[in-house]
Amino acid sequence: MNHRKLKQLFASARRETAPLPPEDFAADVLRAIHREPPVAAPETISIFDQLNLWFPRLALAASAVIVLCVAADYGLTMAGVPSLSDGVSQLSSQWLLTPTGL
Amino acid sequence: MSDDAELLERIRNGATDEFAELVRRHQSRVFAILHRYERDLHKVEDLAQEAFVKAWRALGQFDGRAPFEHWLSSITTRVALDHLRKEKRRQNEIGLPELGEDALDWMRRGDEKNELDARNAAELLELAMRELSPADRVVITMQELEGRSVKEIATVIGASGVAVRVRAMRARSKLKRALEKIVKEKL
Repeated sequence: MNHRKLKQLFASARRETAPLPPEDFAADVLRAIHREPPVAAPETISIFDQLNLWFPRLALAASAVIVLCVAADYGLTMAGVPSLSDGVSQLSSQWLLTPTGL
Repeated sequence: MSDDAELLERIRNGATDEFAELVRRHQSRVFAILHRYERDLHKVEDLAQEAFVKAWRALGQFDGRAPFEHWLSSITTRVALDHLRKEKRRQNEIGLPELGEDALDWMRRGDEKNELDARNAAELLELAMRELSPADRVVITMQELEGRSVKEIATVIGASGVAVRVRAMRARSKLKRALEKIVKEKL
């Protein structure tokens, strides 16, 4: 099958006449769209769409909190104050994980 | 007779029944597009109805920058693409259609002087195009049979112009191989 023959095949196929729509086709379509909601009806926003809208803001806020915590931990360590992680370890060993519990 | 823009305005303002006039104006084109992908007339009719209903649902998004006909053609081609994807999954179950002797004779002949009649050519192409992926078939059909631009094809299949060109080149090679395979199998 060479290129010219393929082109010829396309040219012949292009000449094929398409089938005619039935007489009552437009009426059938109209019946189908009467079962549809009105054209200008506002679309309801799904929970996923709302999450999509909020996702960038939530991600930014979460990143800001993480950066703030790391900076605070670093700052406290540099200032000689027991760091945040040390504080949490101390708290858990003294209060949460004692043999008697809270 | 008013143009599409005026008609669309009236439909948007609540004259729902005027959509039938819009259907009558564009139904031949919609049927012609779909017939390139589906030869069963009942299925073509169902798909055409689906295309018009989808256009109706999306009417609020039509901004009028391009002619309504182009917008509707894109919707119709996407309906055809979805249909091809569904058909591809059950292609093995339905088997392949028979091909006329005229088409096979034309394929076997080396000369290019004799032309194949339109119906046989379309059936031969239909058979060979079953070897292509749905997106490849849409690209080749739009480019070779409908004479659409790369930009238009790219918009419909959601790809870049370069991707369309590459896909078209590969699809054409696949199509040639498929046609050769058909002749070998029928010998």
